[in-house]
Order: sequence, then structure tokens, then C-alpha cells
Amino acid sequence: MFKAVLYIFLFLVFGELIVYLLHIPIAGNLVGMITIFIALKLKVIKLKDVKPASDQFIKYMVLFFVPYGVGLMTLHDILKIHWLAIVVSTIISTVLTLYITGLILQKFRKDA
Amino acid sequence: MREIYQQPLFGIFMTLVVFYLAQIISRKWKFVLCNPVLLSVVSIICFLVVFKIDFEDYNIGGQYLGFLLGPVVVSLGVLFYEKYEQIKENIIPFTSAVFIGGTMSILSVCSIAVVLNASEPVIRSLAPKSVTTPIALEIAISINGIPYIAAGMVIAVGIFGNAFGPTILRNLGIRDKKAIGAALGTAAHGIGTARALEEGKLPGAYGGLAMCINGLLTAIITPYIIKLFF
Repeated sequence: MFKAVLYIFLFLVFGELIVYLLHIPIAGNLVGMITIFIALKLKVIKLKDVKPASDQFIKYMVLFFVPYGVGLMTLHDILKIHWLAIVVSTIISTVLTLYITGLILQKFRKDA
Repeated sequence: MREIYQQPLFGIFMTLVVFYLAQIISRKWKFVLCNPVLLSVVSIICFLVVFKIDFEDYNIGGQYLGFLLGPVVVSLGVLFYEKYEQIKENIIPFTSAVFIGGTMSILSVCSIAVVLNASEPVIRSLAPKSVTTPIALEIAISINGIPYIAAGMVIAVGIFGNAFGPTILRNLGIRDKKAIGAALGTAAHGIGTARALEEGKLPGAYGGLAMCINGLLTAIITPYIIKLFF
């Protein structure tokens, strides 16, 4: 388990380092996500070396964003003015995204 | 009293306790609004307001939990690797569906918000609403949105997709389980994927992969799309 956590942080540090050194406009953790996928695919690391930690991180993901949700309380004034635009645009856009994605895959999937 | 709130321990411990209780409640009542995140956020806000504690004081500890979203994103890469084998046969229709769906998500939410006269920072915060919270936060910060609005709306969208997604899709004629999974993952990220898992393991894999791909796609294209609006 400890080794798995270390690997995850190693790729996170690596991602941050790449972003810092190459000045690419994308978050370091995303670079870490791509590089750990490539490392697994190229068999540089084994799935069992990282899976114990990654499963736990994903399992408790929702807990980690609670503080950001609480941060909404600081935006009381903005929300009071714009709540209608926010709610309407979000609902319509979400339904549209669900429908388009589902429709394309249902139409073009290979196995019937 | 304030010295107590300003200890990192206060925010961390409070979040853990509230989250633990919220999980118990959401297991007992299978009602959609009893989502553990929603329950925790609402209860903590109420507590802070009632006891007149500043968010900044709470966040002295809260930020440590938020920091762990970094390794979560890296972990998504592992998840991606695991699920990849399961959807290989449909990789082209699948990635096309996620790409088009994900792009439409950003374009439509921004256009509608512009028409409804939302302010520029609000529109910038809504752009990444369909991707998983840790990635949405990064995007919101990089395009000068407000991270708290982004996080709040991402969670709201997830809960909406989780609660109503499959019903909406079936009413619109989308009955294929893989398509439902991919749609939930693309539009409603991890919380939507949780619902896809209830439909079955394969729809769950499609949802998880769709969440990863859409997160990456949205991170890359949002800065360009947002330039079309401002």
C-alpha cells in the first residue's frame, strides 16, 4: 500500500515538473494521469503496484471535494443575481450532452 | 473561541465527522437528494453560518482534504488503463461520442448563459460543469473562473445526472446500456458513473472511461472555446 501511494505521488510530482519545465498550459495532475496510463501500457509499472492506492483515492474522491462545495457560501451575492441563468443553462446543457453522447454511441456501436 | 476554528484540525475533523454521518443517512434513505456530498456541504454551511465561523477559518483545515484531489486525478489514469480493455471494440464510436458530447456541453452551457446575461466570471466557471471536480477546478482556475462556483455546479450536475439521467435518456429513445453509461460519464462525471454502475459493470466501465476522456478533452479545448465568447 505504501509503495502504491508513493507511485501515485511520484507521477503527480513528475506531472507538475513537466508542466513547470515545459510551460504547457495544462494542469500537472492531468499530465500525471496521462503518464501513469502510458507507463502502465508500456509495462514500466505493474497494475498491482498502483491499484491498492488508486482504488482508495477514487473511492474517497467525493470526500475531498466537500470543502470546495462549502466554498459556495462565500458567493452568496453572485448566486443571488445569477441563479436563474446558472440553473437554466446547466440543466439544458446537461440534457443535451447526455442525449448527444448516448445517441452517437447507440447509432454507431459495433456490437448489436 | 476563534483560535479553535483556526486550527487545521477543526476543518478536517468536522468534514470527516459530517461526511461519516452523511454516508450513514444516504445509505438509510435511498432518496437522490440524500447524496453524501450534498448533505455534507449543506450541513457544514449551516453549521458555519449558525456559529458565525468564516469559510476562511474552516478552509484552513479544509484545504488539506482538497489537496488530495491531485492524487485522485492521477488515480483516474490507472482506472482508465483498467477499463480500456473492456471497450476496445467500440473505441472509435465511443471516443467520437464523448468528443462531440463533451464539446457540445461547453458550447451549449456558455451560449445559454450568455443569452441569459450571466456575468463573465460566472460563464467562465460554468464551462467545465460536466467534468470531474478535480479537473473542473483546474480548468476554472486556468480560465479565470471562480473555482467554488465550478465545484458547486459540477456537484449539482452530477447529482442531477445520477438522479434523472437514465430516465431522461430512456424517454429520448436511448436504451442501449453502453450508450447510457457513456452518456452518464460524459455529462455527469463520477457521480453519474456511480449510477451507470448500478445499470451494470459494462455501462460502469463506459461511464468511467467517458469521465476520464471528457476530463482530458475539456481541459485541452475549454481555453480555446471560451475565447469564442469573450
